[in-house]
Amino acid sequence: MVYSSLLFIYGFLPVSILLFYITPKKLRELTLLFLSIIFCGMISLYFLIFMLAFTALNYGFSHLISRLRKNEKAAAIPLTVGIIIDLASLIIFRTDYFTRLHDFMRAPEGFFPVGISFFSLAAVGTLIDIYKGRIKAEKNIVRFSLYFMFFPRLIMGPLLRYGVFRRILDNRRETPANIGIGMTLFVKGLAKKVIVADDLYILYTAVQSQNVKEISAVTAWLGIIGFVLCLYFNLSGFADMGMGVAYCFGYRMPQSFNYPLVSTKIKYFAARWQSQVIQWLRRYVTKPLYGVCRHRWIKELVFVFGWTLFGIWYTFSANGALWGLLIGTAVVIESRITKRKIMDITGIIYTAFVIIICFVFIAGSSPAYSGRYLLAMLCGNGVIADSQAFYLLKSYIVLLLAAIYAASDLFRNLMTRSGKKKVKTVITAVSTLVVLAALIICTALLSYSGSSEMLIMKL
Amino acid sequence: MAKIANKITAAVTLAYIVFFGAATAFGNKSEVSDTENRRLAKLPKITAEKLYNGDTSKELGTYITDHFAGRSLWLSAKTALQTELSESIVNGVYVGKERLLDVEASHRAPISVNADIFSRYAENYDGTVYFAAIPASSGVYGDTLPAYIDNRSDSQQISALYDFLDSDIRKIDAYNILKMLKDNYIYYRNDTKWTSYGAYCVYKTVVKKLGFQPISYDKYAIEHVTDEFRGNLYNKTLSKKTEADIIDIYEYPEGAEVLTCVCTRADGSKFEGSLYDRSRLASSDMYSMYLGESVPFMRIYTSANTDKKLLVIKDSYADCFIPFLVQHYSEIAVVSPEDMEGSISDHININDYGQTLFLFGVENLGDRKTLEKIIERK
Repeated sequence: MVYSSLLFIYGFLPVSILLFYITPKKLRELTLLFLSIIFCGMISLYFLIFMLAFTALNYGFSHLISRLRKNEKAAAIPLTVGIIIDLASLIIFRTDYFTRLHDFMRAPEGFFPVGISFFSLAAVGTLIDIYKGRIKAEKNIVRFSLYFMFFPRLIMGPLLRYGVFRRILDNRRETPANIGIGMTLFVKGLAKKVIVADDLYILYTAVQSQNVKEISAVTAWLGIIGFVLCLYFNLSGFADMGMGVAYCFGYRMPQSFNYPLVSTKIKYFAARWQSQVIQWLRRYVTKPLYGVCRHRWIKELVFVFGWTLFGIWYTFSANGALWGLLIGTAVVIESRITKRKIMDITGIIYTAFVIIICFVFIAGSSPAYSGRYLLAMLCGNGVIADSQAFYLLKSYIVLLLAAIYAASDLFRNLMTRSGKKKVKTVITAVSTLVVLAALIICTALLSYSGSSEMLIMKL
Repeated sequence: MAKIANKITAAVTLAYIVFFGAATAFGNKSEVSDTENRRLAKLPKITAEKLYNGDTSKELGTYITDHFAGRSLWLSAKTALQTELSESIVNGVYVGKERLLDVEASHRAPISVNADIFSRYAENYDGTVYFAAIPASSGVYGDTLPAYIDNRSDSQQISALYDFLDSDIRKIDAYNILKMLKDNYIYYRNDTKWTSYGAYCVYKTVVKKLGFQPISYDKYAIEHVTDEFRGNLYNKTLSKKTEADIIDIYEYPEGAEVLTCVCTRADGSKFEGSLYDRSRLASSDMYSMYLGESVPFMRIYTSANTDKKLLVIKDSYADCFIPFLVQHYSEIAVVSPEDMEGSISDHININDYGQTLFLFGVENLGDRKTLEKIIERK
């Protein structure tokens, strides 16, 4: 079950909100755990067993580490074993090399533990934090289980440190207004996924199904712009839906994407794209390494390495690694060259250009294909535009422009910075109608197949 | 101000969700959908295995989707929205100005791998085998589709299949006949299948190969029995952008008459059928007016002054084609593997018939399991 399905929106969501609010306040976390167990069980019973085992294992390890903490060397053993198990489960289920092991574990065909990229990293971080003494091992098994299984976080994170997650749980404020904010966020995410991402995905696949040695430059550009926007709207759409559902229960989770595509510097893009994962990598991988480095260029090398890991985390392939490597390098080069503040509009155009070039590598199936695609974008096939390019441009231009506007922070700025109170009043007044209309449109688009499970990347 | 707005949003959206959720959960559940012309999903039965691999919730999702309150309206809305948002492709169907076309056709597996089935049939058969593979509308009108969709697939599929067929089988090149006539009303605008006129054009060639002179067009009395037909592509999109279709009956008043039609159902029960079942025009499946209820076997006896017998093995494409053949044979046996259980020899002796005609639409030639029923089990 995904958030963008009729079963979730019209079945699971209202039932879970109802159950949550009829239970006494003290027991509400337990209700959420119960709901999360149902959610996992509806993905498949095997997934539920997997999650329960994963949680129990990490619960055991975290307490073992905290018991042995007085003796650092002894505590290092459960830490190492725990990290190895967590990372191994990530690699085993994210890559295709271990199908025999899957059979051995009696996993159903095509089994993929939803959200493993997030909760396995979360588990590693928690074990390290306990070892370092930054947090104490959690005694409350309900909360610890929620950390991995809380269903609004399951599909697209955000990846949070245990300490942060506990603070969010402590600051629960369930009010009717929060449900309104939550529903607005949920519908926003749903619209991002169902209206924008799913349609742009058709554009991307239409271009991708062509022979890369024949496509015109305009077609190639349309394809890759479609891909970048589709990926952004897909990932951030799921993140928004999760955030929205959590908001309905009174939890305020941080956002993962802060309008990254329209940035004035590559540096800003790098800081705003799935920022929780970047922060995780900085905290547990690159920052400890920085401490050892003296020279600036070594630090820069570590930075690029961190981004390469991030790219690998996305796809577990050479393409993802190349993407990370390129973005990391671009940030480093930028910080060396540009000292002065550049003009906004120039900055936005140059950043978008660099980002698009980098994304060619994560979009392709192999580095060679991506290289060939890049050549096609530079008019390497000798055709600037053909009838197909005009057809695609005509079909998708409205959607693309709308998507670019939605990917920028122009609307939010209009809301927050507008001095005129009238604008704000009007927007607030119509917001309910807009949300309802968007929900109805999404339902119509979902009505044929019942769910839109297209995930451009399985995370 | 903002707080009040948020409260209103919460109340309105939740009320809306609960309303449709409850209407779906407690509303009337019908077994079939008239607008989509198909059976709807049943409430899944829970088994340990399905729970284990997650099929239960998938089936539950399908169930909720199929029985979602106001589903037909939602589907029409989807078609209208989707064509505005991006390309005019909805649920695998291209919504053009003039006609709906199936675009999923290009993803089909090659049909030539099934050629051995027909060759094996011919080996065990004493008479002559004729073969006509009929393209779908997207094969003939593919050039109106966006360029990136491979629209030549039907002609390629057919010629590849013909290459692999035994050389003793007489092949009929229906594709090029139809392609030449594509400015005429040979295909329905809302269905993948051909019209009676399309069938007549191919009939002229087929019947010559079978050894007869075709009946000329002006001898027929043509009756438009309905002009409100919307077929399988409409069922997928519920798009009324294109004109509804006309269904015709071609009567040959001077010719031989049908004496009886004996239909046999899969359970063995027999009943008296007919070439045209006009009561079907009132149902959601108007095309089934041709030959009526779909049955595995049908024997048509005619007053034609001949002792020739023909065996037709076919799918739904042949339903509007068979009425043209009755002028030339005293008996025609019609076998539909799709509706048949067991293999053909359990029911009929193929060597009672001097000629066999295979008539299939390309889209149904990929289904190996169904086609294998026509050969002996070893």
